[in-house]
Amino acid sequence: MSTLRLSRPAGGPALKARALRFTPVALTAVILLSLWQAAITLFDVPVFIMPTPVMIAEAFQHDFGTIMSASRSTVEPVLLGLVMGSLGGVAVALVVSRFPRLSGPVLNTAVLINCAPIVALAPIFNNWFGVTSLLSKAGVAAVMVFFPVFVNTTRGLLQIAPLHLEIMESLAAGPRQVAFLLRLPNALPFVFNALKLGTTLAVIGVIVSEYFGGSTEALGVYIAYQAALPRFDYAWAGILVSGAIGLGLFGAVTLLERILMPWHDSLHEEKS
Amino acid sequence: MAEPAIISVRGVNKVFNGGSDRAVTALQDIDLTLGRGEFISLLGPSGCGKSTLLRVMADLTAPTSGTVTVNGKTPGAARADRDYGMVFQQAGLFEWRSVLRNVELPLQVAGAKKEVHRAKAMEMLELVRLSEFAGHYPWQLSGGMQQRVAIARALSTDPEILFMDEPLGALDEMNRERLQGELLRIWGDTRTTVVFVTHSISEAVFLSSRVVVMSARPGRVAACIDVDLPHPRTAETRTTPEFFEKVKEVREALHGAPSEQAAA
Repeated sequence: MSTLRLSRPAGGPALKARALRFTPVALTAVILLSLWQAAITLFDVPVFIMPTPVMIAEAFQHDFGTIMSASRSTVEPVLLGLVMGSLGGVAVALVVSRFPRLSGPVLNTAVLINCAPIVALAPIFNNWFGVTSLLSKAGVAAVMVFFPVFVNTTRGLLQIAPLHLEIMESLAAGPRQVAFLLRLPNALPFVFNALKLGTTLAVIGVIVSEYFGGSTEALGVYIAYQAALPRFDYAWAGILVSGAIGLGLFGAVTLLERILMPWHDSLHEEKS
Repeated sequence: MAEPAIISVRGVNKVFNGGSDRAVTALQDIDLTLGRGEFISLLGPSGCGKSTLLRVMADLTAPTSGTVTVNGKTPGAARADRDYGMVFQQAGLFEWRSVLRNVELPLQVAGAKKEVHRAKAMEMLELVRLSEFAGHYPWQLSGGMQQRVAIARALSTDPEILFMDEPLGALDEMNRERLQGELLRIWGDTRTTVVFVTHSISEAVFLSSRVVVMSARPGRVAACIDVDLPHPRTAETRTTPEFFEKVKEVREALHGAPSEQAAA
């Protein structure tokens, strides 16, 4: 694994290339924010319709401590739910790939559960695990993460090149060896795609379920409370922070993907 | 053929979709004895069942009737004992494994100790002259190099037999000839018995100690031609009158075969 890095461009040019890649992104962001600010000031849009970026920034600065501690108590169940949902999804997918006859009933059940709206799940989980329990929020996130992870991983485990299967057969490999040496690594790209979907779903799941009780020091509660006051600049600050949490998790998954799948990552870099 | 038999095929038939009106007889009454240490080519037009015959020997397909003995056992037992290595038309490397780890795969499946398979895999990479690419990933290698890795992988458990199913078919002419030379060198170094499926007459003649010419629909053995060109065979071998003579003989056997229209 380590020798591969040698064949990549050295740090200097790579860093420059990375900077060049981020310049348009930064520029776009600055232009958009300026346009947003200008439009609202120019057309005299009331705050409850849309606050300006400057107002949101001021609100964020003013409530920094509250927002941060609220975020912390939101992030915890998000992470726990993400881990539980993805482990569960991969585990069930492994079982289904081993016993394909189960795939129909299991998939139908998963669809059924996935259709249950958060507004139903959240109070149910509160009853099961207790309103203040971390598990009741994480459970909602886990259910939402489970579905895409299970469906995608199953596909990755079953979508094997016939030649690869034949090679394992010629080597007299047992079912367990086929699962761990071929199916699981083959499914990794699918797992990571699902995890990326899962990060945003986990954030949504936790924030919405926070409306249904539990600690008042939570991002979902903060946003709802500020919107009701109504202090929309503060509400928007909360919304943007929850977006940032989703973005951060997405980035973390992407990073993990690069670390765990060096072959895949390099494939992309070579193409771009 | 003075050597004792390592593979024997007796009265083998293979019918696909047997019993239905779409039944296809891929192999009919195949009798064949392969000596230890031989380099045998199965040559014939597409659809003559040469790959099917190889797959029957490798226990990847069961014959409809007849018996096959590989290394004194049933093909199934020979596969379980890892008596053979197999190379396919596509290298089929696992893209998530480095070159070295791809070569280690059969040893890992066979349950060898990690230190053992690391050393053995390095030795095999040396054999195919790819040691410096041990840490690379498959996508970083050319098609010819990938196929050399596949050969190293097939040989990593020191099998007595190497089954090759058109292994050079996907390569360009230049790479193909270079790898033919490599293959003869490896065969000379390891003394493995090689069964090599191809549809190229000159490839079969250049590589083999014996060419089994097959005819199509149904697949039968049309002729067995010994190739006694001296070793080592080099690029010059391809220009000698003896080589051309052999190619001509094999071609005539191919075209003389019944129900035969065209061959590569």
